[in-house]
Amino acid sequence: MPVTNYSTNQEFFVDMQRCIGCKACEMACAECETNGHESMIHVNYVDRAVTIQTTVQVCMHCDDPACANVCPADAISKDEFGVVHTANTSRCIGCSNCVMACPFGVPKKNEAYDLMMKCNMCYDRTSAGKKPMCATVCPTQALFYGTRAEMAMMRPNSTPVNNFIFGNENVSTKVNIMMPKGSTVLRVD
Amino acid sequence: MFSLNKQAFINATVVSIITIALVFYGSRELQNFDPALIAYLFGTVFAFFGVVYRYSVWLQRPPTRMYYKRTWELIWNRQFFSHLWFFIKEFVQNIGFQKFIYPRGRSRWIGHFLMAAGCTLAFAITFPLTFGWIHFTLNPESGLDPGTVKLYEAHFFGFKMMEFEVGSFMAFMIFHALNWSSWMVIIGVLIFMRRRLTQPGLISTQSFEGDLLPLVLLLAISVTGLGLTYSYQFMKGFAYDFMAVTHAITVIMFLIWIPFGKFFHIIQRPAQLGAHIYKREGMRRGMAVCLHTGKEFATQMHIDDLKDVTKELGFDFTLEDGTSHLDLSPEGKRSRLAMAHLKARQENGGKLFG
Amino acid sequence: MARLPVSAEKLIEEFGPHLNYPPKEGYAGRDEPDKEVKTHCCFCGMQCGMKLLVKDNKVVGFEPWMEFPYNQGRLCPKGVERYLQNNHPDRLIHPLQREEGKGFKNVSWNSAMEKTVSEIKRIQQQYGNDAFAMLSGVSLSNEKSYLVGKFARVALKTANLDYNGRLCMVSAGAGNKKAFGLDRISNSFEDLERAEVIIVTGANVSETFPTLTHWIWRARDYGAKLIVVDPRMIPLARTADLHLPVRPGTDSALYGAMLKYLADHDMLDHDFIDNHTSGFQEALDAVQGYTLEWAEQVTGIEKAKIELAAQWWGKASTSFLLHARGIEHHTKGVDNVLGCINLVLATGRIGKPYCGYGTITGQGNGQGGREHGHKCDQLPGNRDITNPEHRKIVSDIWGINEKDLPGKGLTAYELIEAIHRGEVKGLISICFNPIVSLPNNNFVREAFEKLEFYACIDFFMNETSRHADIIFPGSLQEEEEGTVTSAEGRVIRVRKVVDCPGEARPDTSIILELADRLGAGDKFKFETSEDIFNELRVASRGSTADYYGITYKKIEDNMGIFWPCPTLDHPGTKRLWEDKKFCTPDQKAHFNPVKYREPGEVTDEEYPVVMTTGRVVSQYLSGTQTRRIGKLVDNFPEPKVEIHPQLAKKYNIRQDEIIRVVTRRGSAEFPANIVETIRTDTIFLPYHWPGRKSANQFTTGNLDPISKIPEFKVCACRVEGTGVFAGPSTDSKAYAST
Repeated sequence: MPVTNYSTNQEFFVDMQRCIGCKACEMACAECETNGHESMIHVNYVDRAVTIQTTVQVCMHCDDPACANVCPADAISKDEFGVVHTANTSRCIGCSNCVMACPFGVPKKNEAYDLMMKCNMCYDRTSAGKKPMCATVCPTQALFYGTRAEMAMMRPNSTPVNNFIFGNENVSTKVNIMMPKGSTVLRVD
Repeated sequence: MFSLNKQAFINATVVSIITIALVFYGSRELQNFDPALIAYLFGTVFAFFGVVYRYSVWLQRPPTRMYYKRTWELIWNRQFFSHLWFFIKEFVQNIGFQKFIYPRGRSRWIGHFLMAAGCTLAFAITFPLTFGWIHFTLNPESGLDPGTVKLYEAHFFGFKMMEFEVGSFMAFMIFHALNWSSWMVIIGVLIFMRRRLTQPGLISTQSFEGDLLPLVLLLAISVTGLGLTYSYQFMKGFAYDFMAVTHAITVIMFLIWIPFGKFFHIIQRPAQLGAHIYKREGMRRGMAVCLHTGKEFATQMHIDDLKDVTKELGFDFTLEDGTSHLDLSPEGKRSRLAMAHLKARQENGGKLFG
Repeated sequence: MARLPVSAEKLIEEFGPHLNYPPKEGYAGRDEPDKEVKTHCCFCGMQCGMKLLVKDNKVVGFEPWMEFPYNQGRLCPKGVERYLQNNHPDRLIHPLQREEGKGFKNVSWNSAMEKTVSEIKRIQQQYGNDAFAMLSGVSLSNEKSYLVGKFARVALKTANLDYNGRLCMVSAGAGNKKAFGLDRISNSFEDLERAEVIIVTGANVSETFPTLTHWIWRARDYGAKLIVVDPRMIPLARTADLHLPVRPGTDSALYGAMLKYLADHDMLDHDFIDNHTSGFQEALDAVQGYTLEWAEQVTGIEKAKIELAAQWWGKASTSFLLHARGIEHHTKGVDNVLGCINLVLATGRIGKPYCGYGTITGQGNGQGGREHGHKCDQLPGNRDITNPEHRKIVSDIWGINEKDLPGKGLTAYELIEAIHRGEVKGLISICFNPIVSLPNNNFVREAFEKLEFYACIDFFMNETSRHADIIFPGSLQEEEEGTVTSAEGRVIRVRKVVDCPGEARPDTSIILELADRLGAGDKFKFETSEDIFNELRVASRGSTADYYGITYKKIEDNMGIFWPCPTLDHPGTKRLWEDKKFCTPDQKAHFNPVKYREPGEVTDEEYPVVMTTGRVVSQYLSGTQTRRIGKLVDNFPEPKVEIHPQLAKKYNIRQDEIIRVVTRRGSAEFPANIVETIRTDTIFLPYHWPGRKSANQFTTGNLDPISKIPEFKVCACRVEGTGVFAGPSTDSKAYAST
């Protein structure tokens, strides 16, 4: 990788309860130089018929990414900072294994490109010492990028959690989700 | 740590031996073999060895093996001919013309197509030449008679395949084919280099050895290859030796690097067609319906296979009720996570903030 | 005269709306721009700071402006996509003249000006000065708003000037003037941060002012209780501590009952009431009998919820009450506002840290634009056009005889009615799209068809300007220097980032040339926007909206100055009323009695369902700008009727079925979106779309008697299923509906 100013003391924090579904992140994501006006972030209604609840999902950058493991083409790699990069365009064969295996539902298959694309934590910005576009613009700070200390000061009653349980699987990630103070894990189902 | 993969080693060795044997017999026991190309031959055989070794290792990985297994199943499938026809069609579109790159950007497609076409053409010529499988001779009859038009004969595996007039358009095209391929590669490389040096998104994520070096190497091969021709044609052999040596070195580097670097994607790419057929067959068999959204989202075969593959890789997404987290579509997974998060927040005295 | 010269479809083909998308790899030069200009979003009243990236005189992208104190880089989707209105293929770049049967032809500036001036003169000579009217808008800067006000009175010499703020927050303005003698939110939004209780009523904050959500969430991080009053479960209400799903048109009953509850349980600030207010007893008398039970019956909100809201509000030591169009767009808009103010005054929580009240102004310059005189009854500095003293001050500054200054004119909707009656014959408009944004818009369109002459200044051709005889290609926000005043009362600088394309010209230069050609050139000697601002400063000096101490440099140095700012060394006023001296004649805050009244149109057997209207997050107002930006349109491609499953079941309507909405003013068809997040007696329809997709075909022209705001939020309708199901929204092409 080229010379980088990636700041290792800044982290990504997500709190879906703050999300208002405005999709500013989605629009901003498309402005990121690494994904050519395609948005990599997901905002969706959880169940519109009964609630206005929306959720926002960036790549969680797993410590042991299922997407990279199931990739038959070795197209997904994790770098020294723990950023799980989007599919290598020359290798990806568009099989969608990663799309269906990611427990967070993050990778997206672009059918026209026959290519998987996913969030790489705005690598063009974070590697230049800037904050990701989505977390910068998020009007509710459901997405926040900064230091743990800043987060602790702003939201003293919440704890960043980066362990998730999906059935028998325990997944730990680089990205944090804000949970009630004292939580250590989020059991999904 | 590198540890030798026995199966892969055997496969690679067998292929290498077969190649050498074919070289021996294809060149009529080396009488058509050009000893000047011996270094190229070693490079090529090593590349074959490496490619097969890596391909074999690759096929042993659980996700790849699953696809490999399914591919063989299709051979015995009633849909075989339908899939075969689909494969041929797709091969022309996606491997021949790289249709899927076009939507990613027009100049990107032009650049890639030129490089791919140039390289394919060059491979098609140089491999048989190096192996001594093809060679050209002057038709002896036409050569003896000064009054007639002289004819060239092309031989493959020692058999005469065709003949054409010296100085004809055909001759011009055939003997300059490598020059044409060089020009295509050069233009393609320049288009790609421009992208890689000017687009901030690429600059931030590319690596020198992974993305720029391959372009540099292709450029060096093409320029020196062209240089060889133009040196003796127009420059009275100026720097011919230098170019010959550089060309040989870069080509051999290129060959032995195929299995390890960026160029392995050339070997991998046809697997894309496999993925398409897999999806096609899967759709025929039936779609999986997301437990959350109630909508179809993938083929049931794919989801079932992934459950096995993930387990083999050490991920167990099986839930208490026996279903799997993988039975959810990506949207469903995101929604379930959000619901779980909301529940966890609510259980904590309903505190959604702070 | 002003029927469309050719079919709307043909005009759309040539002038749009077309959707603009950025190129795949972004505009060239985004990564190495010539300059990054710190300016503001062109859309809502939040006026978020942002940096526009410029390459070769084109806006090629944006970067967040992290230092700007209100939004610190945060933006909503409209803000992110805002840069795409530049470089738009629909942009008007030549003066246009209507050509019967053909559409519009390019003409020279000189010919467009000559034609307009001669028509103005003809109409005014034939029918009188007031027969030529002007309509303006508050997406315009303070400078342009001031200039329009002066232009209409001094050059056009007409009384009939009004603006689209008439359908924005005039109810709030009128209410605030009655209660406080001044029309501005009392605090900056930073004061939300430590408010214990926040009431947000009739304000879909998360969709219409998304960046304001941050400040509310901050308060909640510190433990604030949030009460949201809205007929729908809006995104802000989902997590709210209390959601009061009020029946549209009954808001004042809720506040009345709450006031009575506060008084009955002695949750009052007696000291404040006694010393700094007047009219408390009358206000209390007006709500006698407004018991919780009565309120439950009227508003449809469970009485326990009303009681809880009143208790929380009553016991809080700090609080903030915010409202917006949801309570203002009513025939009792002013009543609703006064009802809210009564709750604030009764608890004395104003003029103190973290104690605030105010309206959230909707349009970009809704605040500044309503202060500087392009309102029919107003002169710069929020002065009164009927007040002889005010008239004298302004006439002197303008260098005219006070007798020549026209009097009070008609309000926007009344003006349309006057056009329809044939009393007003000519019109010039800028920055207003009434055929989409005014109620009962089939009637509005008929009015436009009756005009003898209509000239329009705009950068895109919208649904209204299609009716014009002359269209002057004006400027986008980023093509002229100026100031705007955000919803907080913060005066900020918007910058000229690029030049106008083609033959398009800055709005200011167009108005100045028209003034000159109308013979008033000597009164309009402005070289720069700053010259206009400096005259505005003087004109507002000593008024309630005093800008005298604000200069361009001071704004730039401080990233905005809050008015009132009476002197050059004054730092500006972030929080009003800290001295408890209100701007009323007796310097006291006034309670006002608010008796509950029915809305202008009520449901009956024939029209049993209430329809209410509002906005979606990815569109802005009448959509002249946002219905042209591809990704914003894709996010919400067409209006759908939100309807509760119970109501849907009653009419046998299924999800995505096309349903017919029928009102006294017409009917139209929309897909149904069946959701539990709306009251069972109410349907909701967003209003950004034109023609058959317009919500304002249904809304009534009933006006508030004081503010003259139309009642957009309540009308009676019935719904009918059609049995046909809607195709994909993206195929609907609602953005260019006719």
